[in-house]
Amino acid sequence: MQFHRAQTLDEALDLLGELGDDALVLAGGTDAVIQYLAGEIAPEAFVHIEGIEDLTTVSLNHRTTLGPLVTHRVLATDEVIGAVHPALAASARTVGGWQTQAVGTIGGNICNASPAADTVPPLLVADAYVTLASRRGRRRLALMDFFLDRRQTVMDPDEMLTAIDLDPLPRGSGEVYLKVGRRGAMEVALVGMAVRIGFAADGTVDSARIALCSVAPTPRRVPDAEKALIGSRLDGGVFDAAGEALRAAACPIDDARASASYRRRTLGGLLERAAIQCREAVTS
Amino acid sequence: MTVNGVAVAFSVNGVAHRLEVGPGETLLRTLRERLRLTGTKDGCVEGECGACTVLVDDRPVDSCILLTAALEGRQVRTVEGLSGDGALGPLQQAFIDHGSVQCGFCTPGFLMTLTALLEENPSPSSFEVREALDGNICRCTGYRQIIEAVAAVTAESTRP
Repeated sequence: MQFHRAQTLDEALDLLGELGDDALVLAGGTDAVIQYLAGEIAPEAFVHIEGIEDLTTVSLNHRTTLGPLVTHRVLATDEVIGAVHPALAASARTVGGWQTQAVGTIGGNICNASPAADTVPPLLVADAYVTLASRRGRRRLALMDFFLDRRQTVMDPDEMLTAIDLDPLPRGSGEVYLKVGRRGAMEVALVGMAVRIGFAADGTVDSARIALCSVAPTPRRVPDAEKALIGSRLDGGVFDAAGEALRAAACPIDDARASASYRRRTLGGLLERAAIQCREAVTS
Repeated sequence: MTVNGVAVAFSVNGVAHRLEVGPGETLLRTLRERLRLTGTKDGCVEGECGACTVLVDDRPVDSCILLTAALEGRQVRTVEGLSGDGALGPLQQAFIDHGSVQCGFCTPGFLMTLTALLEENPSPSSFEVREALDGNICRCTGYRQIIEAVAAVTAESTRP
């Protein structure tokens, strides 16, 4: 195996263009190195990109742009990011311990394409797009369309994620990330749910976005559940209908951490809790 | 499969090292087997337990899942760096005074995470201490005595 250090994006893209399928991009390594040491992956080469300063930037504007090397620790602790992306910050705080958050990056969380990637549901409810670059050019696509299957993405072997852009939380909206696990720390999500709800002045829901992880091979938005909330005041039977839509959209597995049936049964109650927290965040 | 050595230069506890390592060699292995710094412990070897925690550029990291080749230009600190001239550092002494060590295997990792915390936040609340220690697992002493040791050190340093 080879180990290449890229100091600039150009160097990284040259290496990926040359090595293609044989290379694996390495950032913080909190997923990739574990998989490598366990023998689950055997790349011919690592292309180490952690030293590319340009990919660590955060820009807050009418859209927020995050470099792929922004760490979970920055997302979890930066007060400015936390104010406009509270669900993203909350999700980053649930990824491993400080040791993982200190080096693990948002780009890695996305590209590793784990069904349980905590930062992805908050990105999906913020309508995130990803920019992929290669020697052949650039393309920008919705994060929703990035994942093909468990650990599979639309990225070509010579491509690299270079930016993530997303909507900050608008005024009158609240958002949360809720995670079901057996304990409060160091947990892989049994179910993760991000919800962003916009309220009209009279308290009616005028927009709703709901995204899940750990209930299907890929994280996903659930438009039918979103529609069920819109126009309501989060009362009546609205959560029955929305919960039904969530269960229909989920295709969880049984594994050592939880049964599929358990994961499905958490969804309705979790949405109700999330929606009410969104409303509290707006009115407080 | 050919294995190519990678040249890497970094410092450990202020001492510069220039090494040629395997591309898949972890910092934990480099510390323990090349540099004979065996204070850093080999626990779960999958980034879960925190026994192997060291500081890289002042941030706590699990050295068992960090490739040494990725450390070019970085500054590493290990538990060996906490004591000077044979004297224990204040946090180490507080661990002894408060019974925060039983079998001791997790202790170096706890000390390193807490060193990072106290450098970043010299007077953390009990909640902040516990939150910082999310990634460090102790299976025999328990956590209370450890949190008490931190409280003693911070009380000491903030005393007028």
